[in-house]
Parts: sequence; structure tokens; C-alpha cells
Amino acid sequence: MKRRLISMAVCTAMVVGSLAGCGGAGTTATTATTAAPAGSAAGSETTAGGETTAAGAKESIVSAPTALTYIFADGDEGAKAAMNEIVSQFNAAYPDITITIEPGSGGAYSELLKTKESVGEFPDVMEMRDTAVYQRAGMLEPLPQDIVELFKTTVEFDGDTYTAPLAGENTNGIIYNKKYFDDNGLTEPKTYDEFIQLCETIKSKGDMAPLVIGGQDIWHIGFWFYKAYNDQVLSGDPDFIKHCYDGSKDFRDPAIKAVFEEMQQLFQYGQDGWVSTPDAQITTFLVSDMAAMMYSGTHMFSQIETADPGFAYGWFAVPSPDGKTRLVGGGGASGLAISAESAKDPDKKAAAEEFIRFFYAPENYKVYVEKLNAIPSTVVTPDAAFSPMMNTVIEALDNADDLSCMWNVRTGENELPPDFRNFTYKTTIEVIQGQRDIASACDELNKTWQVAMQNFNPVTSKQ
Amino acid sequence: MTKKKGGIDTAAVAFIAPAFILYTLFIIVPAFSSVYYSFTSWDGISPVVKFVGLANYREIFTSARFGNALRNTVILTVFISIVENALALLLALLVDHVKWFKNFFRSAFYVPVLISGIVSGFIWKIMYNYNFGAINSLLTSIGLGEWKQDWLGNPKLTLLMVGFVLIWKGAGYYMIIYLASLQSVPTDVVEAAAIDGASPWQRFKTITVPLISGAFTINFTLSLINGLKVFDQISVMTDGGPGFTTETVVYLLYKVGFNEGRQGFGTAVGIVLLFIIIILNAVQQKFLKSREVQL
Repeated sequence: MKRRLISMAVCTAMVVGSLAGCGGAGTTATTATTAAPAGSAAGSETTAGGETTAAGAKESIVSAPTALTYIFADGDEGAKAAMNEIVSQFNAAYPDITITIEPGSGGAYSELLKTKESVGEFPDVMEMRDTAVYQRAGMLEPLPQDIVELFKTTVEFDGDTYTAPLAGENTNGIIYNKKYFDDNGLTEPKTYDEFIQLCETIKSKGDMAPLVIGGQDIWHIGFWFYKAYNDQVLSGDPDFIKHCYDGSKDFRDPAIKAVFEEMQQLFQYGQDGWVSTPDAQITTFLVSDMAAMMYSGTHMFSQIETADPGFAYGWFAVPSPDGKTRLVGGGGASGLAISAESAKDPDKKAAAEEFIRFFYAPENYKVYVEKLNAIPSTVVTPDAAFSPMMNTVIEALDNADDLSCMWNVRTGENELPPDFRNFTYKTTIEVIQGQRDIASACDELNKTWQVAMQNFNPVTSKQ
Repeated sequence: MTKKKGGIDTAAVAFIAPAFILYTLFIIVPAFSSVYYSFTSWDGISPVVKFVGLANYREIFTSARFGNALRNTVILTVFISIVENALALLLALLVDHVKWFKNFFRSAFYVPVLISGIVSGFIWKIMYNYNFGAINSLLTSIGLGEWKQDWLGNPKLTLLMVGFVLIWKGAGYYMIIYLASLQSVPTDVVEAAAIDGASPWQRFKTITVPLISGAFTINFTLSLINGLKVFDQISVMTDGGPGFTTETVVYLLYKVGFNEGRQGFGTAVGIVLLFIIIILNAVQQKFLKSREVQL
């Protein structure tokens, strides 16, 4: 009897122990330290709303100690450092609010967020990229008007704004080895043909690859793809996706074939092993004289300077084949957002909204903008110490013939079906590697598009 | 002795109940609900679930992407099953016959099994790196630079390279099962055969192999199932690429379900995979069990 009772107690303890392992916050979550760095908002001056106590902390805006989870795409080291610093400062300024940063999974961010949602761990505050999808599912909380008014432009859904844009769209261009260019008498090309000739010249020299491509990260392929897509498709039809939805066009269009041809032409100048090179390694290629140029966003400037403070680099926009300069720029639908479920708790809602105000306060937002060399999205421009290179980019944006956001962040009738972009990029890799020809790639894209349209069609669903 | 009330052994039920409840809640119930969702176009997030009948299954059996994923899965599974078991048996024979440091070798071959799939994927991803990885660096340093390959970028090699990682990680586990089976082969039978003039190969083929065929059955079944549901290494090393070269059925299920907002279709892929596993396992069991021999 005694033995049986002990056995039953052990069994019960095992069951309780195994159930205790279910749910709860991830064990890998990190809480940004509450030790505020020097010069932070924990000083006595008032910053993002709220009064400041004599000890430097803000007066409480919640009725009880409140914890929030926060996720963002942490594949970029600059973003990671900036977010950690700002969250640390916020936690120090608001002792009764604790924001815990959870791992953001780098390149698989959209999948991570969906996985988190499916296991009931949707974060309270997050960097939201698939805004339309989550807004339609009722998972995002509309932002209050005082936050919306902080920004130059925002994107509305049914009259409400759900995301606070982190920055203007990241402008892609060629970042090049200035010393190599100067030593070899190479100059920035003014036309697309000159750019191809430049790549040929560097390739024939044999010192290094003309271009370094981080093909292992699918979103890096997207930088190149969008350039070609902008050149060949959007130049002729800015509403191509809308026309694919209404059936007047499809992915067998000659413009799409031209996109693949442009990609094949560009990628022949990539380094050996480009398809398995992660984006995180391309800085190493550039500063180690293994490649002369990379095509990426302004967030790479700080990464290059960190990797080699003495490395001399330049930037130029790649002209389109028709002579125009088309750049990624302007505002998009992604940014910081608040979970609707979390917002049902008044304290969490107040804390989340205060965090967003704090984040975009000029002295805090400056940290983010400087680390990523990002174009500020706020009306009040932070006093960020932009590098001369960043000023070159801003000047190029001001003079560009066309500014647009990436095709996968558009909303409304030009919104892509979920994850169609990754399917397109993978198919592009197949074409470039010779696994399939352009005609069959277009057929495959079209078949996938037809299937995707059955579940998602913003054009016909309105009719 | 336990008391039975009305023919029910209450103590036994009490011991089985926690595991049964957990198994029902976390395995059986989701499995049945998966069948329901496989007939819908649910996106995994929206509260609205739309019934679409057999549309998902029709798409699976006409989809080139599913066909590609199934082909990759079959190639990977067959490759892993054969090579992994051959290697495991070889290691078991070595460990069984080695005279010194038997325990050390047994532990050393088993260590990769203890590494998680994600970690093993990261380790080999770094080693396979074209420009900075250990394999290409070693080849260059010993004068075989022309043998350098883009191990995870060459579409002809990538699937096999993923397979090698799985074999490296799993062989130690099957080795233990073969080793236990080898050690249960009666030595007097082997000695009698030796006295009768049988060569080592004849003794292995006609005595050892039939007597360890139970271990073959277990190991081939396990490696078949593990090969069919491999995910971690593909996720970390290749994300199903380059292109769709290493996209398997399980990975396709994950991609369409979580990335493309087609949880209903992804669930239907899972149901089809379940039937594939059941059928393959049944065929394999029938074939291998018929060859088992017991003294």
C-alpha cells in the first residue's frame, strides 16, 4: 500500500512537471539590462511624454508592474544593437514597466511571427512586416492619433494606422571598394551599360569578384530582384500586380522574362559560391578585397565601418537600362505595432504606446537611425550624425527619377499574396543556376499565382 | 496483488491515465483536427475557416512543387536509410571486435547523436561554407583546391550533403542497436561454423546477419521514418534551397503552412505524408520480418 502510494505520488509529480514545461515565455528571451548607459533618457530632462521624478525615472503610467514582450527582426547587427540600447533606456526610465526582447530569428522573421502566433506566444509589441495579413485577422491594435502624427507618412487600413514606420524604405545601391577603384582608374558608372562594362573590366582583371552576392539569404536576392523588376516591369506598368489580379496580365508577360534576363546578366559577375554565401559575410568579402562591389542597403555602412574603420568605400545608384534612376525609398506599411490581444489589458496598452512614443523621441530614435544609417520617418528629424556617404544617398533620393517601396510591402490592389515573393526569389535562383529555363520559370510563377489568387485577390474581392 | 473493481484494475488505470490523457490531448486530438483543417482554406491566423472539400488534395496530386518535394524526400530517405545502416553496422562490428578502448570508441561514435539537429546543422553549414569552410580550406591546404565545391550551393550536391550530416548524426544511434544485437549472437554457433571451415565472410553472411535481422528491421524502420520527417538540418543549412533542391515534403508543409498562409493546404500535405509513411512502413515491415531468424 505504502509502495503504491509513493508510486502514485511520483507519477503525479511527473505529470505536473511535464505540464509545467508547457507555454510560458521562451527561455532564450533576454531582458534588456536596466542599467542605463551614459547620456540616456534616464537623465532629469523630460523626453517622450510623462513627468520625470527626481531620481530620473518617469512617473508611472500603469496601475501595476507591467511586462511586455517585444520581437523584431534581429538579423542585422546594427538593428539588434540599437533596439537593445533603446529598450534598456526605456526599462530604466520606467521602472514599473519591463520590456523583454525575444529572439527574432534573423532572416526567417515572418515565419517566426506566425509560429509564435500559432503557439499562443504572439508578442505584445513587434516589428510588423505583414501588416495587411495581421490587420485583416484582427490581431493588431490601431495606433492613437498622437503617435500617428509623429510621422511624415503612414499607411492606413480602413481608416486606421497600425504600424509606426521604423524608417523610410532602405535604399539599395552599390557600395564599392574606393581604393580599388582609384588604384585601377575605375569610376562610378553613369549608365546601366557602363555598369556592366565596369563589372566586365573588374572580372577580366581577375583580382577579385566584381560583385559579392549573399544568395543564401533569400531576402538578399530580393534586393537584386526588385532592381530588375523595377527596371523591366514597373517602368512600363506600375500596377502590374493589380493587372495580374484582374486577369489582364500574367507572369508569362515579356517584362517578367526580361527581369530574369537582367538577373542572369548581373549574377554572372557574382563571386564563386554566391548561392551559399550568407548576407552576413558580404561585408567580409568587401573589406578583405575578395569582391569590389556589393548591392545592399544603407544599413551596411555601419557594418563596414565596424569591420574595418579604415576601409574607404563609395556608393552609387545603378541606373536602369532606360537611363532613369529608380530607387527604393519613401514609406511602407511595416513598422512597430501593438498586439490587439495585449491591448485588451489597459496597462499593457498604455505601456506599449508609451514605448513607441519613447522609441521615436528624437534623442532615442537617433540611436536607431545612426546605427542603421536609416532615413528617418518622423516629422521631427533626429539630430543624427549622418556619414558623408549617407548624405550621398539622401542626395540621390532627392534627385531620383522614381522612388518606390519594395514589391512585397505594398498594400491594397498591388499587395502580393503571402510569401509569393520568396517563391519568386527561389525560382529566380533556379533560373540563374540553370536548373530551369526562363519560360518554365514564368509558367511556374504563373501557376503558383493562379493558385494563390484563389485564396487572396484584393481586386476581385472588392467587386 | 492489485484489486479489481468490476474487472477494471484501478491502479493500472491510474498509472496509465496521465500518459494517456497527455497523448490524447497532444497527439490524437491535433491529428483528428488536422484532418478537418485539411479540407479547408484556413490561413492559420484568421478566425474564419472556409470549407473547400477536396481542393487541397487535388492540388497536391497535380502540383509540380509537391512532386519535387516527394522526389527529394524519397532520394534523401533511401540514401540515409542505406548508408546510415551500413555505416552503423560497420561501426558496431568494429566496436564489437576492437580489443582496446572499446568503451571510448562506443561513446565517441555516439556523441553526434547527442547534438541537437539544429546545432549539427549550424556546425556543418559553417564547415561546408565555400570560401571559409573547413572542408574547402583543408582541400586547398593539401593541394586539392580544384576539388573545392559549393557544397550547399551546387544543386547536384546539396541534397547529398544534407544527407551526410544526417548520417553523421544518426549512425551512432543505430550502431548501439546493432551492437546489442551482435552481442546476443551465440558464440558457440559461430565457433562451430569456424570449426567446420566457414570463412569470416561466410560466418557473417549465413549466421550473424540472419540472427541480427531483428535489429535490421528496427533500424531500417526508424531511419525510414526519420528520413521522411527530417526538418531541422534543412531549415538551418539550406532553407529548402538552392531554389527548391532540398525542399522535402515536411519542409513544404512548413513553408506553405506558415509562410504562405495556407495552413489548410499544409495540413493536407501532412495527412498525405502520414499515409505515405504508413504504407512504406507496412511494406518494409512485411519484407524485413519475413527474413528474421530466431534460434
